[in-house]
This record gives sequence, C-alpha cells and structure tokens, in this order.
Amino acid sequence: MVTAYVIWYDFLRYLIFYPPVYQFIIIPGLIAALVVAVFIIWFERKAAARVQMRYGPYEISPRTGGATQLIADLIRYSFQEIIVPRTVDAAIYFAAPVAAVILSLMPLNAIPLTSNPAFWPIPMDYSLLVAVALTTLSPIFVIVMAWASNNKFSLIGGVRESFIVTAYELVAVLSMLSVAASMSTFNLVDIVEAQSGGLWYGLLNPPAFLAAFIATLMTTSGFPFEIPDAESEIVAGPYTEYSGLMYGLDMGAAYIKRWVFSVLMALVFLGGWAPYVPGTGFVLGYLVPSLIVSAKALVIMAVMSFLRAVYGRYRIDQALGVAWEILIPLAMAAFGVGLAEAYFHVYAHLGVMAVAG
Amino acid sequence: MAEASGAVALPGMEVRQLERNLYEVYIGPAHPGSGHMRIIVRVEGDVMVEVDPDIGFVHRTMEKLSEGRDWMKNIPLFERMAILDACNVTLPYVEAVEKLLDVDPPERAKYLRTLLCEINRVASHLYGFGIFGVFLGHSTLYMWAFGDREIFVELAEKLTGARLTHSYPMFGGVRRDMPDDFGKHVRKATAYMRRRLDEYAKIFLNNPNIRSRLEGVGVIPKGRAVEMGLAGPNVRASGVKYDVRLAEPYEAYDRVDFEIPVYEEGDSLARAWQRVDEMRQSLSIMEQAVDWLEKHPREGFIHEKFWKTAPPIYKQVYAGAVPYAGKYRVKMIPLYASLRVPAGRSFARVESGRGEITYYVESDGKDTPYRVRVVSGSFRNVIAFKYAMPGHRLADLPAIYGSFDYFPPEWDR
Repeated sequence: MVTAYVIWYDFLRYLIFYPPVYQFIIIPGLIAALVVAVFIIWFERKAAARVQMRYGPYEISPRTGGATQLIADLIRYSFQEIIVPRTVDAAIYFAAPVAAVILSLMPLNAIPLTSNPAFWPIPMDYSLLVAVALTTLSPIFVIVMAWASNNKFSLIGGVRESFIVTAYELVAVLSMLSVAASMSTFNLVDIVEAQSGGLWYGLLNPPAFLAAFIATLMTTSGFPFEIPDAESEIVAGPYTEYSGLMYGLDMGAAYIKRWVFSVLMALVFLGGWAPYVPGTGFVLGYLVPSLIVSAKALVIMAVMSFLRAVYGRYRIDQALGVAWEILIPLAMAAFGVGLAEAYFHVYAHLGVMAVAG
Repeated sequence: MAEASGAVALPGMEVRQLERNLYEVYIGPAHPGSGHMRIIVRVEGDVMVEVDPDIGFVHRTMEKLSEGRDWMKNIPLFERMAILDACNVTLPYVEAVEKLLDVDPPERAKYLRTLLCEINRVASHLYGFGIFGVFLGHSTLYMWAFGDREIFVELAEKLTGARLTHSYPMFGGVRRDMPDDFGKHVRKATAYMRRRLDEYAKIFLNNPNIRSRLEGVGVIPKGRAVEMGLAGPNVRASGVKYDVRLAEPYEAYDRVDFEIPVYEEGDSLARAWQRVDEMRQSLSIMEQAVDWLEKHPREGFIHEKFWKTAPPIYKQVYAGAVPYAGKYRVKMIPLYASLRVPAGRSFARVESGRGEITYYVESDGKDTPYRVRVVSGSFRNVIAFKYAMPGHRLADLPAIYGSFDYFPPEWDR
C-alpha cells in the first residue's frame, strides 16, 4: 500500500539521499561548499586581520566575531543588480559561469566518502583517475568568460589563466597519480583503506603532497599565485565585467575548485576518513566519514587562505617558471618515489591488501 | 571580438591592435592600480614596449587660483597638492614669501617646522609603502603601513590640531607651539617605528616572493637618473647623493645630525630600501628636534613683527593665563588679514617626501601674488615611467609605479 510515508521515504531515499545527487548537492557538494566558503572567508578575514593588527569583521554580531557579516555579503551579492555591458556576447557570458560552477562540482561525484559500497556514487575502480580527469574540465570556462566579456582586462586575465592552467595541470595530475603508482590501484577506497594504519600518503611521499598543494594554489589563484585576477594590474581579470550574482558565481567556482582539490587531497594524502572505520547505516556509514573528510579538507583550505597574509603575488613568468622548472621535476620525483614504494611493496609490508600483484 | 552582439565600439575599453602582435592597453584613469592618471601601454605579448604616462586628470589650476587669493590663504590651497605631506609642500611657499617680506623666523619656529616636516615625511613614506604593498598584492604591508602612519598623523594632530591639512608654517613662524607632553609622544612613536621597520623588512623587503618581484626591475642607472632629472628618494636610490636638506640646508637642518642614505642599484628594491632608511633618519631628526625644543624656553615661535601686533589676549592665551581650548592654542590667522608683500621675486625649495619641491613667487606689492610657479617632486619623477617600464612585463607596471611613490595630485596641482 502506498502511503504518504512511503512516498516521502522513497523520495528522500532515491532522490535526495541517492549518493550521486547527495554528494553533488549536499555533502561535500554545493551546500557543504557554501558553508565551507562562508567559514573560510570568515577565517581568511579574521586570520589576515590578526596578522595585520586590525579586527576584521566586527560590527555585525561582535559576539560571534562578525561571522554573520558573510551572510550579509552573500545576500548583497544575490540581490545586487546584474549589469550586462552591451559589448558582451550575452549567451556565453551567462552560460560560462554556470557551467564553471557545475563542472567544478563534478569531481565530487567521483569520489567515495565511505568504504560502504551502498553509498558510493559511482563504481570506485578507477575513481582517482576519473576525479582527477574531471577537475580539468572547468578552467576552460574561465577562458570562455574572458573571451565573452570582450574587455581588455578580461582578455589578459583569460590568457594568463590559460598559461596557468597548462602549467599546473600536469603537476596536479602527476602528483595525485603518484599514489596510484605507489599502490598499483586507482581505487580511492583502497587508497584510503591503505592509509588506515595511520601512515598517510602525505607522510610517505611529501613531495607529492607539496606539489599538489602548490598546484592547487595555482589553479584557484590563491596567494602567492593570484595572477589571473591580480587587482592592481588587470582589475578582476576574467571576471572584470561580471557583477552581482554572476560575480558571486565566478568567485564561487574558484572556491569550489579549491574545495574539490582539498577534498581530493584529504582523501589521497591525509588518509580520508582514516582513523574512523565506517559502519552501517546512513549516519555511521556515510555522514560521519564524510564529515571527517570535510574537516581535513577544511584544514588544507585554511592553510591556503592564510598564505594571503604572508605573500604578495608572483609575476606570471615567475609563476610559470616555478611550475615548469621546480614543480614538474618535483612531481616527477614524487612519481618516482611512488614507483619505488610500489617496487619495494611498502604498503604490502605494512599489511595492507590493496596492493595488486 | 567586434562581431559580438551588436558591435558597439568603445575606444579604450578594448585591446586595440596597432600592428601585428602590438596592442594598446589603457591603464586608468579609473583603474585600481593607476591612481588619478592614465598610463597608455603598448604591449607586445606580455612585454611593454612603449609606456606613455598621460597626466592631468586631477589638474586644479592651483597656480592660477593662487593669483586670486590672499597671500595667507594660498597656504591651505597649496596643501591640497599632497595633503599627506602638507608641511613639506607648503614650506617653500612660506619661505619664498618670507624672503620677500624680509623676515627670518625665530629659531624655535625653525625647529618646529623641521619637526613637522619629518613627521610628514615618515607619514608620506608610509603611505607610499602601503600603496606599494597592495600593488604587489601584499595586503599585510598595506594594513601595517597605513596603521602605523596613523601614529604620525596623530602626532601631527597633537602638534597642529589637524590630521592632514595642518597649514602649520606661516609667514614668520608657525601657527602654534608644541604641547607640553609632545616630546614623550615623539619618543614613543620613534621607538615603536624603529621596531616596526625591522618587521617590515622581515615580511616585505626580505620576503623571497617580494624580492623576486623587485630585484632588477625598473632599473635606472645613475647617469640616466641625472639626465631625466629625477628627484628625491628615487634619484638617491640610483646612486646620486642629492638632497636639498644637504645641498642647501633650510630651517634647522644644518644644526641636526643626519645622513643621506644612497643606494647604487637603482631598481625597485633599492627605492624601497631607500625609503626605509630615510624613515630611520627622519625618526632621528624628529628626536633631535624635540630635544632642542624641550631644552629651550618657549619664546618666539613667530616673528616679532607679527607677534607684536597681536592683541594682549593672544599673549595671555599663549602664556596659559586664559583657559582656552588648551594651552598655546592661539589663533594667529587674523594677524595676516591685510598682509601686503613688497614687490619682488623670490625662490625657495625644500626636500619633500617625494623629492625636491620648488616655488617661484612674484609679487607686485598687492595683497595677492602676481605669479606662483610650483615644480614638485612627482612632476620630475613621472617621466621615469616612460623609460623604466619598457622591456618589462605588464605585471611589473605596478611594481615600478609603486616603487616611485608617484602621487598624481602632486603633479597635477
């Protein structure tokens, strides 16, 4: 008999808590990313303010350290007038940020947040490869935004972005995949399980972690690589002609990208849900491990945000030099370390079954 | 690009192709990194090949305006050139008029002027430093410099009653004497600032990230600097030991002990260090001036010619006999209401925060100047953009711009 209860239960079960939808929309997707963005921006402002000997957000709710200032900012962005210059290519101008946000979220659908197969969004055999491949989709839309804006600063910003993309992508992919070389598997669940002993891959292969960290900074134009949207040079780079909610989407896409890379790094290098062994049921088997992963990713993001207070920005050629002359050899070295670890069966010696062969 | 949606041509908004691989980009006048000016840049790829500083966006016809105002009222007018350096900017005008009036300010006034000039110089350098930091994306230096500048702005407020537009030097003296506890505040501020300058070096000047941005960027060799006639800290960073305080000492500068720091490299980093070293010297001068002022009796902060015309109530206020809004706070302005300056021509110059500033003043004996001509430090420095920038990348534009501490309102008058 079909009762209202059954309909709601099925609705929740198959639509909201259906892992592909759930991971895309709720944790660690859109809503979690929004919460994280609010927290990280607040943290960024407060930490920078602390270094810079000022208060940061303060006036709105001083008791919470001005935390609700961010809500006010979000509301302002949402309701601000969207000014569309006459010279833009309107269809692409609007489509590109939306596509960028959606595609930035895509990798979250390829990662596991638990070892319980009932809560995997996709089969996990090649999940690391799929996730890393999906992260490379969104940057093209930043370049599209710049082109559609038809503005000189946007154009220069877009060109810079394209340079940066070519520089960081190889580094990010190589450093993430060195773990696959080391463990002879692309399965993120196996990778996380292998680290459950406490020996995280970030400790076993620090060059890979460092390279991935810096590559993430470069992709998301974090300091000291805030180059495509360097304010004092090219206003807001590719986002110059965007205002209101559209600008919010642009910034949101960058934050989501950083969040996605942080989640990936938490899984690959920081042991994912490692100390915790996922149980059964939604809460113990899915929610708790996903929150642990999110917490680790949040720490990575917080460190990245803090760099704003320490560094200025590099010049584009210096950043490219860092990427091609230092980071790629570093990532290669990390890959070599990974291969060496595979050769000597490091994880096998540690009693982990993930190693094939 | 042009065929996008209706093709509205907006010159200056789009990158214009001049010839193959050569594009024109307009930075400014409404650009976060341009200030009140426009820089027309021709780029080949990412490299600037021609840079044309286009100035005049904040021109206020100050020289012409001054011809219609009383001698005294021109002091607040000229202050508007660089309100963060107000004493230095108006001092040569006052000195030039004093030469025409044939009055020499008393010793105490000279020291007071020196004191405020150095307070202004530190505040002005800190302002330039803050802008420099944010140009390079270094928000911490920006906040630090502006926060610490506040100390010197408040020192100036304690001394003069105004934060920025002090109108402090007047013909024959200064507007008021310093408060009793001023020396204490100055010493506190200088001790604090010395410590802070070390921290600036740690986070900014010795930061590998910033060093790589500044070293070897925007190099101006010694000969070139002389050819272009650069002024102030910028020429000294290129190895030329020229400073008006040294070449032609004015006020009390021949009686205080200080050094002129000189750097040989002539790049952006040298110009930044130059300013740090100059700030240290300024702090030392401030302490010496305040020591002298505390040791000597409070008499004659304004020339007897003007002081003797003051009504007795002024003198009672100055002596502290009449309680009025604080000790020594005398309103001196009415004494100059009907000032007429004898006909003649005179010239004076001082070293302001951004370089040598010169005034030529001509009087025909009326109550307004016949002609005032101003040449400021920024006016002489702006030409360097044209020659220092080509060959560098577009991203170096803010690094070079910021290192010159160029201030458009000072040029544009």
